[in-house]
Amino acid sequence: MVLTCPVGIGRTTQRDQASGHSRRKLLRAGVLLALGGAAVPLTGCDLFDRDDEPAPPPDPLRPMVDESLGLAAAHRASAAAHPDLADRLNPIAEAHTAHATELARVIGVAVPSAPAAHPTIAPATDPAGALAALRALEKTGQRSATVACASAPAERAALLGSIVAARATHQEALK
Amino acid sequence: MRQPSAEEALATALSAEYAAIYAYGRIGVRLTGAARDAAHQAEAVHRRRRDALVVQLSTAGSTVPPDRAGYALPFPVTDRASALRLAVEVEERTAAHWRAALASTTGADRDQALAALVEYAVRATRWRKAARLTPPTVAFPGRPT
Repeated sequence: MVLTCPVGIGRTTQRDQASGHSRRKLLRAGVLLALGGAAVPLTGCDLFDRDDEPAPPPDPLRPMVDESLGLAAAHRASAAAHPDLADRLNPIAEAHTAHATELARVIGVAVPSAPAAHPTIAPATDPAGALAALRALEKTGQRSATVACASAPAERAALLGSIVAARATHQEALK
Repeated sequence: MRQPSAEEALATALSAEYAAIYAYGRIGVRLTGAARDAAHQAEAVHRRRRDALVVQLSTAGSTVPPDRAGYALPFPVTDRASALRLAVEVEERTAAHWRAALASTTGADRDQALAALVEYAVRATRWRKAARLTPPTVAFPGRPT
């Protein structure tokens, strides 16, 4: 609270200089500015310059929405490249989409229409290679969901546990 | 609804393990070969968890629910097909009890509950594959339907 005062007047000073206000006012402001500056570097005070509230930190589950959508996209891409695998891969893709939908509902965001941060990796040309790549993705996803479950509040733990388990069963289904 | 305590959740999981062990006794005799071996392995896993839970609850001074002489099966086990279906059911139901324990636990107890949920969900998928059920997975393992 102490910091906001001098910084606020410091800003006023700049405006006053531009519009030519009285010298006394400027001096007083300058003293306060100097005091403020002695207490803390001015650049640090920019934090207090905003009128609006700082944005709340992103929900820790937000990355899992994208991860689920990325996994769904990977399965769909492999199903498109290998139609013989489609019957196996499409239900798994649907499960990942269902996870994304449920996670988004829990954290109160809309489901993004396309995964943002996941680069599309071209599926392997042979079916066995495609399955192995998907198993590896599921394994990585199982690990990240396990970490999320361990630290989650009680009301989210069961959902995350099901997602961990689903990703484990997908590896089994892809064998 | 009040959140059960960790002890209550683990006691409920223990009762589910008792029932699973009983059910596998009925399942194993209807299977042969690799499926029978898998049933014996699955039963051994449920016995290990039962034993660990009895020790854990006793050590903590909690009430250890008693085993019963018999448990009602959801449908009669008369052949391989019904034995495999019951095996899927047993794993899904025990998985559901461990899933429920996640919300009541933290730290090592939650890790333990998650490991059980994952293991039983995977085993349910293996049984579905053995029974040629498609798809062999569910979207939210252990979630009440």
